[in-house]
Amino acid sequence: MTTLTLDGIDKFYGDLHILKDINLEVGQGEFISLLGPSGCGKTTTLRCIAGFEPIDRGRLLFGTREMTNVAPEHRDLGMVFQSYALFPHMTVAENLAFGLEVRKVAPAERAARIAKVLEMVRLAGYEGRFPRELSGGQQQRVALARALVIEPAVLLLDEPLANLDAALRDDMRFFIRDLQQRVGITTIYVTHDQSEALVMSDRIVVMEKGVVAQCGTPKEIYERPASRMVAGFIGHSDVIEGTVLGREGAMIVVETAAGRLRAHGPEAVSGPVHLMIRPEKLRPGLAENAMTGRVKKAVYQGSALLVVVELPSGQEISALLDADAAVAVGAELTLGFAARHGWVIAR
Amino acid sequence: MIAATRKRVWWMIVPALVLLVGFLVLPYASIVVMSLRTADTRAVYGEGFTLSHYAQIVTDPFIWGIVGRSLRMGLTVTVVTLLLGYPVAYHLANLRSRWASMLYIFVISPLLVGMVVRTFAWMIILSNNGVINGALKSLGLIERPILLLNTPLGVTIALIHVFLPFVILPLLGNLQAISPDLAAAGRSLGASRLRTFLKVTLPLSLPGIQAGAILVFVLSISAYVTPAMLGGTRGRTMSVLVVQYLVDSFRWPAGAALAIFMSAITLAIIVVYLRLTARAMRRLP
Repeated sequence: MTTLTLDGIDKFYGDLHILKDINLEVGQGEFISLLGPSGCGKTTTLRCIAGFEPIDRGRLLFGTREMTNVAPEHRDLGMVFQSYALFPHMTVAENLAFGLEVRKVAPAERAARIAKVLEMVRLAGYEGRFPRELSGGQQQRVALARALVIEPAVLLLDEPLANLDAALRDDMRFFIRDLQQRVGITTIYVTHDQSEALVMSDRIVVMEKGVVAQCGTPKEIYERPASRMVAGFIGHSDVIEGTVLGREGAMIVVETAAGRLRAHGPEAVSGPVHLMIRPEKLRPGLAENAMTGRVKKAVYQGSALLVVVELPSGQEISALLDADAAVAVGAELTLGFAARHGWVIAR
Repeated sequence: MIAATRKRVWWMIVPALVLLVGFLVLPYASIVVMSLRTADTRAVYGEGFTLSHYAQIVTDPFIWGIVGRSLRMGLTVTVVTLLLGYPVAYHLANLRSRWASMLYIFVISPLLVGMVVRTFAWMIILSNNGVINGALKSLGLIERPILLLNTPLGVTIALIHVFLPFVILPLLGNLQAISPDLAAAGRSLGASRLRTFLKVTLPLSLPGIQAGAILVFVLSISAYVTPAMLGGTRGRTMSVLVVQYLVDSFRWPAGAALAIFMSAITLAIIVVYLRLTARAMRRLP
């Protein structure tokens, strides 16, 4: 168990600047997700932490130990791969014993630790099975057990749920998060699935084109995105273009084609901006920040009613309303939102 | 459904089956029959059947000597090509470069030259005043030439050269199918590069080693042109001897018996080899 520090890490492939000045402090026992579209550098960052990719500039620390140029086998980490990477010629127990044998753990203790970890991942009794005799979810848990049994300083997970079917994936999210909290291990989790990152992480690092676009708690990332890209990548959002007129206490007044709207935003925002509202925060008939338009579409989604309203400016905004809301396509509808639910992003 | 599928598969193997029966089973059968004929000086074979050719072969120390030499050479060629070819295949499998296709061509280059031309080249290289001895002499390392031509060593060197692709290519296919994540997993668990190779990559590449080794062994044992041209009498192998029986001495029944005898020995070795390697690979998927 340790803290983890990425200090100004740069990475090049030939002329391509893959990672640009990545800085990150991970606390002990913290669960951090690296989130972003493919090619954003999240997997490369993980491979740099693991030692499979050399770091061209900057430093990597586990606690106070310098790890920048240390070989992967000496970094004391556990890694779970998207492909699970279980050794196909070894049984479950042998896969788990691999890391313990390298560490010269005595056979009796080895067996005890393997049994304990298999119990934790609910695979007691599967010691003698070969990976090919297990389902995807079971292989996934063996991979997790193999990484944890060596009691590493840091746990690295590279899209571990990407190859599982949807129902199993939902179960495994909570399973992994729960296990991580019980063990209390510092964890870096790479994913392109924003809902996975939201429900599992202490903090999320959103990456784009090799830079950290934003780093914060799931709530901060979702409600206070630092950029249009972050807002677009996490969940759905309505974005209205406008210009900052001034401030009224904590609120920022924005002149838009849909009228004069008030919302929260960062301290030093001015000039042309995007005003972002989450569709579920829009309320029909609310006087605050009211916008009136014509209903173009109303789609029943079971838990909610998705309404698309065309404003007089021609812009369309979507809102998630109560599933029972009486909305007629073609009728006029006024939608409003509380100022603290709007968020202003510099354009 | 199942019956229909079976029927389709059955029809599809017919051409291969015809080739196999027509050009392998039937000639083999006729050689077996030939080996049981009596010898005759006026015809290819005489009247009646006999086991005497086999009896002569198994009691002849001269023939056992040549069998031993053939097997030793086959084994040497197999082991050396494996040792030389494995690193090449390993390197190629991990190569992500535009030079990869050039290296492929380089690997199969021994097969791109005609057998006789290639063997003549080896005669030039190996002979007493050839390239190797010339170089060693001008460097002052030797006074008299090392005998390479017309020795088992010369044949072995030439066979290693030709058969290297036959061990590299199966190994390459095998190594490429092993996910690089497995080696990464080994390293992440604390194993050094070497330990990861010995415990993970090497065991998983056993099928490639097995296939490459069997190909090279069988090809070496049955090689004719290379030992015939480079081996002389000291480097004479079983296949050369069989052809001498048949063509030079016109002893068809005895030559046929010799051929069958050699096939039986090779087959026995392969069966034992497959048993042993299957044991080593029983844990693989």
